[in-house]
Amino acid sequence: MQTSSTKKTQEYYKHVSLFWTDLLSLMASKPYALSSAGPMRKFGTNMKKLSTELIEANDDLLEFNTRLSEYYKQLTDTWTEAQKQFNKKVPELPNDAEHIEASKRVWIDIFENYFTTLFDSTKFAENFGKLVSSELELAKHWNSMMSVLLDNANLPTKDDINEVYKELHSLKKRLAKMEKDSNHRTVKRNGK
Amino acid sequence: MVNELKIDPKLVEEFLNINKNIFEAPKLVRAPDEINLDMTPYDVAYSEDKIRLLHFHPTTERQVKTPLVIVYALINRYHILDIHPQKSWVRNLLNQGVDVYLVDWGTPTNADKFLGFDDYVNGYIDNCVDFIAKETGEEKVSMQGYCTGGTLATVYASLHPTRLKTLTLTAPVIDGKRDTTVVGNLAKHIDVDKLVDTIGNMPPEFMYFVFSVLKPFEQGLEKYVNFFKNIHDKDYVENFIRVEKWLSDTPPIPGELFRQWIKDVYQENLLIQSKMYVGGKQVSLKNINMPLFTQVAVADHLVSPESSMPIHYAVSSEDKSLQIYTTGHVGMIASSFSQKRVLPEFGQWLKERSNK
Repeated sequence: MQTSSTKKTQEYYKHVSLFWTDLLSLMASKPYALSSAGPMRKFGTNMKKLSTELIEANDDLLEFNTRLSEYYKQLTDTWTEAQKQFNKKVPELPNDAEHIEASKRVWIDIFENYFTTLFDSTKFAENFGKLVSSELELAKHWNSMMSVLLDNANLPTKDDINEVYKELHSLKKRLAKMEKDSNHRTVKRNGK
Repeated sequence: MVNELKIDPKLVEEFLNINKNIFEAPKLVRAPDEINLDMTPYDVAYSEDKIRLLHFHPTTERQVKTPLVIVYALINRYHILDIHPQKSWVRNLLNQGVDVYLVDWGTPTNADKFLGFDDYVNGYIDNCVDFIAKETGEEKVSMQGYCTGGTLATVYASLHPTRLKTLTLTAPVIDGKRDTTVVGNLAKHIDVDKLVDTIGNMPPEFMYFVFSVLKPFEQGLEKYVNFFKNIHDKDYVENFIRVEKWLSDTPPIPGELFRQWIKDVYQENLLIQSKMYVGGKQVSLKNINMPLFTQVAVADHLVSPESSMPIHYAVSSEDKSLQIYTTGHVGMIASSFSQKRVLPEFGQWLKERSNK
């Protein structure tokens, strides 16, 4: 968990960074307006988006690390508990083939049992859900930054492509429905 | 005094043998990449976008007139139904004189992320049924759905009851609330909207994670030790590599389909309450009135029997049968047990209800 002083420091740096990015962007507007048809114009306009994404990604990275640490803590704690249980059941190290095989079976059963209980628990599933969620937040920032860069290069962004995919999906569906309706009509006509 | 360390000579021998087997393994075993998982010959009878409808070549005279279409799961590929000559679900049915078709979902790409239940059920499955009916001259077909394919088959049977002669559901995911598996637990806590909106399709790597937490020690450790121990047993090794290749080959799931599956089946549990909507139509389980055969496995760690069994009580079919087998999710379809027990019962059930 973040302390309030860490959060304040982060907020401060976020503010300072955004202040200078905004100010520099305003100060630089005239020179890049001159090259409005060139590639650097869009980059100048979009610079702020990139820095904002980076700053926010930092916040989400902290959340991701917290969830990841919790994930490994749960695994480690379960391992320790399972090993304790195994040590209780098999206090002496076996040194012949038959006993080793039996101990291995006990070890697998105990560990399987402990870990399945963990994976079946709400606390594991909740943390796992949040871990994936924070990972997705990072992916969102990455996607946004990629979109900025693609837009700078006058290339289609993910949103642009999604729009095409969606339109294509809807067209295919309409076409399939029309084909099906027409087939049914033909069958009915022939049936008559 | 010095402690004397006594080690059983048998143990040393076993250790040395395993080491020897590890070194010899590449000479004895084909790499997974060199193995073609397709076994029983088939024709691609129909294809649309990425999906294919496979029609298997008969091995004997047809004894069951009504054709059977198998709706495979969305996770992994259909090869598990035909993984080994002695454990093949498909081959066993062919040998019983059943005309077998199977839906292969192919590999969805980003362009397919808007495909949902409506496209799969009212589009692909319905088109396959149309094609089979036209090709065979049979007005109705028998349908079998396995795992998540069972969920799709259930929705199809509810929305198109007049097209099916019989319905067989093998470990279907129906009542998400009652599912007690690790898969169900994780599915209930995932922000599926964020996942689909951010990355589109459900990535296969995510499925690998889910598999890795199912029986991690038995599956992750013990089976590889046994593999090297049995490296000289040709049949064992061939079967092992084929199953491993199948396990690691799982395609992405189209985003919209995954979203509705997780939300409507696991999180909001709408399917069993007949409150799910597909293509603007309500999926009422009472619409399912054809003969129904539900097969569940007590040791299923992917779809718990409690999640599958409610379908037996929710439908309006008068001719219905529920069989509980003492095996696991894969054991029910690809094992010596399934060959001896599950398949003969299934074949007989189909024969009794097929057109003469």
